[in-house]
Parts: sequence; C-alpha cells; structure tokens
Amino acid sequence: MSGIKSTITKLSLVVVAMYAFSYALVPIYDTFCEITGLNGKTNDVAYTDNDINKEDRFVKVKFISNVANSAPLYFEPSVTEMTVQVGKPYNTHYVMKNNSSRQLHTTASPSVTPGKYAEYFKKIECFCFNQQTINSGEVKDLGVQFIVDNDLPDNIGDIVLSYTMFDITNNISESNKL
Amino acid sequence: MSTNIDHIKEEHHQPSGIMRWITTTNHKDIGSLYLWFSLLMFFIGGFMALIIRAELFQPGLQFVVPGFFNQMTTMHALIMIFGALMPAFVGLANWQLPMMIGAPDMALPRLNNWSFWILPFAFTMLISTLFFESGGPAAGWTLYPPLSLQGGNSMPFVIFSLHLLGASSILGAINVIATILNMRAPGMTLMKMPIFVWTWLITAFLLIAAMPVLAGAITMLLTDRFYGTSFFTAAGGGDPVLFQHIFWFFGHPEVYILILPAFGIVSTIIPAFSRKKLFGYDSMVYATASIALLSFIVWAHHMFTVGMPLAGEIFFMFTTMLIAVPTGVKVFNWIATMWRGSMTFETPMLFSLAFIVLFTIGGFSGLMLAITPADFQYHDTYFVVAHFHYVLVPGAIFAVIAAVYYWLPKWTGKMYNETLGKIHFWMTTIFVNITFFPMHFVGLAGMPRRIPDYAVQFTDFNMIASVGAFGFGLSQLLFVYILFLTLKQPVTAADKSWEGAEGLEWTLPSPAPYHSFDKPPKID
Amino acid sequence: MNKLSLFIVTMFTSLSSMADWEVNMPRGVSPTANAAYDLHMLIFYITVVIGIIVFGVMFYSIFHHRKSKGAKPASFHESTTVEIIWTVIPFVILVGMAVPATKTLIMMEDTRDSEITLKVTGYQWMWKYDYVEDNVSFFSKLDNNSNEARQLGSKIDVNQVDNYLLNVDNEVVLPTDTKVRILLTASDVIHAWWVPEITGKKDAIPGYINELWVDIKKPGVYRGQCTELCGKDHGFMPIVVRAVPKQEYVKWVSLNQKNRVADKSE
Repeated sequence: MSGIKSTITKLSLVVVAMYAFSYALVPIYDTFCEITGLNGKTNDVAYTDNDINKEDRFVKVKFISNVANSAPLYFEPSVTEMTVQVGKPYNTHYVMKNNSSRQLHTTASPSVTPGKYAEYFKKIECFCFNQQTINSGEVKDLGVQFIVDNDLPDNIGDIVLSYTMFDITNNISESNKL
Repeated sequence: MSTNIDHIKEEHHQPSGIMRWITTTNHKDIGSLYLWFSLLMFFIGGFMALIIRAELFQPGLQFVVPGFFNQMTTMHALIMIFGALMPAFVGLANWQLPMMIGAPDMALPRLNNWSFWILPFAFTMLISTLFFESGGPAAGWTLYPPLSLQGGNSMPFVIFSLHLLGASSILGAINVIATILNMRAPGMTLMKMPIFVWTWLITAFLLIAAMPVLAGAITMLLTDRFYGTSFFTAAGGGDPVLFQHIFWFFGHPEVYILILPAFGIVSTIIPAFSRKKLFGYDSMVYATASIALLSFIVWAHHMFTVGMPLAGEIFFMFTTMLIAVPTGVKVFNWIATMWRGSMTFETPMLFSLAFIVLFTIGGFSGLMLAITPADFQYHDTYFVVAHFHYVLVPGAIFAVIAAVYYWLPKWTGKMYNETLGKIHFWMTTIFVNITFFPMHFVGLAGMPRRIPDYAVQFTDFNMIASVGAFGFGLSQLLFVYILFLTLKQPVTAADKSWEGAEGLEWTLPSPAPYHSFDKPPKID
Repeated sequence: MNKLSLFIVTMFTSLSSMADWEVNMPRGVSPTANAAYDLHMLIFYITVVIGIIVFGVMFYSIFHHRKSKGAKPASFHESTTVEIIWTVIPFVILVGMAVPATKTLIMMEDTRDSEITLKVTGYQWMWKYDYVEDNVSFFSKLDNNSNEARQLGSKIDVNQVDNYLLNVDNEVVLPTDTKVRILLTASDVIHAWWVPEITGKKDAIPGYINELWVDIKKPGVYRGQCTELCGKDHGFMPIVVRAVPKQEYVKWVSLNQKNRVADKSE
C-alpha cells in the first residue's frame, strides 16, 4: 500500500509543478522574446546606456501606426521614414487626436520587424512607457527618442517600428470586457 | 501459467440497479461506464459533424448561420477529443489493465468512480451552452484569444467544464500509473508487461505532464476576461501568441495521448491474429517512449505562421520531422510481426490492418506539414483537417473499435456476429476514405478551415466528402446494432476466445468474473 | 426534360469544369510560391515511394502469409540489426528533405531590398490596405453580390455569382517584378492573409507586426481568403490582388492618392 501512496504523492507533486510551469511560461516567454526579439518586442523601460558611439553605418527606419479595435482615435507618425546613423540618438513623434466626445485613456504597444533586430532598436524615451489621458478633440504629440545599437549586424534591410494604440478607458474603470 | 478461478460471493449489501452503477468501484463496471459514455458522445459529436457536412454539401448557406456553424466545429472537436476518444481509452484501460497485470482492481477504486462521474456532469454543462442565448463556444476547440475573449456567457462554463475534464483525466492517469507500478503480479517485470500496458503507462505520464498546462492556459483566459489580467492582450503588455505556445505545449502531447493507447491495441491484435509474437517488443517500448519525449519539443509546428524567428521555425521543423523515425519503426515492426505469420482476418484484425495503412497515410501528410515553407501553404486549410482526421478516425477510432471487437468475448462471454462485423468494417473503411481523402485536394486547392461556405470550385469534392460522412455515420448505427445483438446471445465464448490471443486476461473465464485475480497469478 | 435528366446534365456540366476537380496546390506566380510548390511535390513524391514500398510489403504478406493458404507461423520476433537499419534509413531520408526545406525557409524569410511596402490590417470582417510610401489607403470587403447571395436562405444561385466569395469591392493593386514587403497586423482578433498563388500565409496579430514578401512575376488577378478563425464572418473576408505592369501601378497610385489625403483629417 505504501508503494501506491508514494507513487500518488510524487505524481500529485508533478501535477502541481506542471500547473505552476504553465504560469512560469509567462515570464520565460517574455525573457525569450527579449533575447530573440520574437514578435518584435523592444525594451519597455528606458534605455540609458551612455556609451553612444556613432558609426559610419546607416539604417532606414520606417514608422507606422495602428489603432486597435477601431477606437475613435487618429494616430499617425509625423514622419514615415528616417535614415539614421547607427549609434546616434534621434527624436521623432507620433500625432494622436481624440475623435470622440469623451475623455479617453490610451496606451500604445510597440512592435519591430524584422523581429531579430528588435533587440538593437533601443528606446531612450517613449510615449509607450506610459499611458495617456486625452480629452475630446485634443491633439497630442507623442515623442520617441531612440538609438540603433552598435551591435546591429551588417547587411540588414529596413527596420519597421509599429505602434498600436489601444483605448483602455473601459479597462481602467470597470472589470475587463470587450 | 495457473488459472485463477474466482469463488468469492457477491456481498449481500452490494447495490443493484442504478445505485450499482453510481457507486461502483469495480474496474470492470467503471470500464463499461466509460465505454458506453464514449459511444454516446461519439454519436453526439458525430451528429454535429453531420450538421457541418450537411451545410458544406453545397456552396451557399442552406441550414445554419455562420455563428452557429462555428459553434458546431468547436463543439464537435471538444466532444470527440474529450468525450469520445479519451474516455474510450480510459475505459479500455480500466477493463484491461488490472487483468493484464494480474491485479484485482485499480490502485484507487473510489477515485476511479469519481474520475468517471465527473464526465457526464462536465459534458452536460458543456453541451448546455449551445442553448444559451449567446450560444456555445465558437472560437474553435483551440480557443485562441483575442477571439475567445469575445465569447458570450458560455465562456466560464466552457472553461469550468474543461477544468473538470482535465481533472478527470489527471486523476485517471495517477490511478493508472499507481496501478501499473505497484500492483503487477510478482514476476512480471516492466519488460514482461503486455505492450498495451506499456503504452498506457507512457500515456498516463503524458497526461500528468500536459493536462495541468491546459488548466493554466484556460485559467489565464478566464482571468483575462473577468479579472483584469492581460496575459494575452498587447494593451496590457501581453501577447495573444503566448496563449498559443502554452496551449500547444499541452496540445501536442495531447495528440500523442490520443494515439499511444491505439498503438498498444494494434500491437496486441496484430500478433494475436498473425499467431506470432510482436516483433521487436523492446524497440516498440523505446519507440513509444521516444515519441512521448519528443512530443514535448515540437509544439510550435502548430504555429508556423505566427511570425516566429527563423531559428525557431527551423528547430521545430527538425524536431517534428524527427518524430517520423520512431513512428516509422513501429509501423515496420507491425509488418515484421505479420511477415511469415499465419494470419486470419477476423474483424479486430481487419480494423487493425486498416489502421496501419490509413494511419500511415495520415503520417505522410503529417510529414508534409512538418516542412515549414510548405506549411505556409497548408496551414489552416482542409489539408490539415484531412491529416488529423486520418490519424484520429481510421487511426485512433479504428483502434478503439478493434479493441471492442477483440475483447468483447472476454467482457461479455458472447461472440459478436462475424459477418456483420466484417460488413461494419468494410462500410466504415470505404466511407471514411470517401469522407476524408477529398479534403486533401480542396485544402491544396486553397480551401480554408472553419468556414461554413466556400467558393464554387470546391463544390465537387465537398459534395463527395459530405456523402461519405453520412455513409460513415450510418455505418456506425450498424456497430450499435451489432453490440446489442451480441448482448442478446447466449454465453458461448471460450476462455481464450481467439486462437492466437496471449495474455493473463485469456486465462480467465469468459465473461471475466466480477472480481478477478484476488490472488495474483504465477508468471513464468 | 424530367428532373432526373436535368440533374444529370447539370452535374456533368459542372463536372466538366476542370477547376472543380483541382487536386493540387497551384505552382503560383512568385518565387516563394514556386518554392513552396516544388518542396511540396518533392516531399509528396518521397512519401508516395515510401508508401508503395511499405504497403507493397504489407499487402504481399497479407496475401501470402495467411492461415487459409496453409502458412505456418515463424517464430522470429526480434533483430537488432534490422531495427538499426530501419531507424537509420528514414533518418537519412529526413536529412535529405531537411536541406532543401531549410534553404527555402531562409529565402522566404528574407524581406530585405523591397521596393514598396504594403501594410495589411485585418478587421472583423474586412481588410485595410495602406501603401506606406505611396500614400494610398482603403478598406476592402466582400463584394455586394456575394454578400447578398451568401445569406442563409437567400435562394440566389451562387454558381451565377461572379467569383462567389472571392470578390471584393476594392482590389489590392501591385506592380509585377517588384519585391513588395507586406506588413501584417490586425485591429481586433487574429486573422491571416493568404493569396496562395503569390505566397504562403502569415498571421495578422493585434498589437504586433509581422511581415512577408512577394514578387509577382506574372500580371493577373489572384484571389485568397482569411485563414485564421476570426469570428462569424471568417469565411467572408476575401482578398483580391491585381498584379499589373509597373507603369500601370504608378498610374493607379496617382489616381488613388487623393483618398489618402482625405482620410488624414478624420
């Protein structure tokens, strides 16, 4: 009988461990994404490395925008492309307008493609680090300061930086529902 | 081997009628409960398939609105996987494992009872969602967010129901492992166990490892929907693709859970009807274990189009292709068993032989799907539908049917009508191919999955598939008739009902006594 | 003519349309579609050969090693040599498949040196197209004739509808012989963009951006569909790509650029 009991105890522990493992996959996935740039995840805390080293290499960066769930927002890049020098910081901004009749809370999610270069695209300052509050009819300039890291491999094509703007007004005040 | 004749009398306070079935802790009773439940769910899931095929008979919408069609595809899959196939294998495990290892019952008989009775409750809840105003789940059995988060009021019930089903499977798996590891008759070493016991042991380990991961994934869906978490929404820093990783980390081992017991059944029946021992028993064990281990590192082949890094795509392509090796080894071993045997072709053998051919065809389309750049054209088309139906229907389901025909005389003491069995076999096999083979064509020609209506160039093959589906469904009514006809027969089956059958269960009388091997048998 | 003859005639008329009996993937009109097709055929032929050999042996055995023919069962039941052989040979075959597959995959994932960029956004249940450099932007949804005919109980004969379920109001126009980079995202749920003749599919995921490339070698109209379940009208959001020579494309852009300017102020 104790053989059975011991088997059951061990197996139950495995069950619990695998359940915990499924939750562990969440941070594991995040770390993996940061390392490999899967799904174009870039840094979500400000990049502060002061070893800015301008190189004689240039890369074209394209800026695009999306509005999620057909929210009543105008959201476009001020400039759709820039040719940037590797290792030098640059500024640009997006323009957002609230086309609805009420105040909205918004947040933006960045994504870079090709994904494998996401880790070299560092944001020093980004409106995506915070949420925004925007009044009806208001127009906001949302700034980004970025630098393309020196470790960027050679012979790559363009980098595309995309932001998706979400209206999260409902999510803040009530429990989550679509 | 000594024969064990059971003299134990039934206890006076043993309940009868409905209460017997509700309170039974006997592995044979519980095995029967699982098998009858599975048969019922097979018809319910099959009915949903016929609604799908009726709508797809012609282009244009004739019978259902698209939203309901999506509920049918979702529920058809959930019911077939969790209500028909998995309980069928658990039912076979319950009936056979104790007898095959010379044990009196499962390790935890009361838990066994609970594991079963969770199922009717969970499925009543699941199916009832179809009658909600907002309808049942319609995001596919894979429940990808954000679509699944848009669902109506059915969502918490579906998730609760899935949790219960998962719990039932996990408890059952713990019971199976505890039984096999602790209750084998003395002298039965692991490498002397019948191959069916081995495949169930490995399946049970897969269940323990994989089902809790599904539980995690669906709990995350629940909290994303109702408790403000954002595992799967970019707005909150999450990622819909994360769900796919977690789901398929469960999902791929799950499909091996659905096939390994079938491999064990075929590995039992082919030797019996070839009158020759299974070729390469040790290899078969190692191959099964390799398949199980490999099943944990292939999951992203269900997600090749999601935008993975190149390295990931290459890795998963290679590991997925690799699984073909141990699977091929199994097919070759079955054929080597047949080779220079002395075969007869009773119904269980017919279904097992058809399994080998048709499952292998499903394996070939699987190998094609493993090739990532080609998969970019196959993914989410009917080519995938064809592949998995080939491995699940003339694969897993044929094995279950073969097992039922094979062990029916042991369970009931009665022989089924062999002529009717053969008719059932031929009708089923012919119609299964008429149903699913054309799906390869329309998939390659460009027809996506999960659509209720299609462009007119896909009409002809869809018509053929629908006719096949109705034929297949009707053929299974013959199976039910055969079962009931058998139960009406007198008890005539021999202890060893098949000339080539081997194993401890064939040393018992037919029908097997209610309590068997209360004293363990001697093993040479 | 009685109903039966009418039925038979109709069946044969539709039977004679060869497109209805299409059994294979199209070879397509772009390098990536061609590569996918060639790889598909290679693997297919290999599996056919393996199938012929394996099933051949099996059916030989079924025919000859049967009790009714007097066969007596042999007693062999293991052989390490044989197990090694039939493990190694399949492994070698797989390596042989993996080499071209890997090369093709690397080629498909290389989006560098594209000339134009098309951003595709999936919506429930239509597509939005933004030509990033050329400033053209529009929605594209199932055309009205198809939409009317597909309603439950519409009683419209769908065989009479032009390109039923594969027609849209606004087509995507692309230049031939041009490497086009297609960026994919979605507004609400996951969709997937697929035009089989021009390239394999990729998912359109809300909040994230994916990419693939096409280089259409032959002018023509190419049709596809959404290929990721996205809700009730998943089957009703097709894609139509019209590939035209470069000069025609430039003309089309200038005609449509005005729309984009008008949208900007919304």
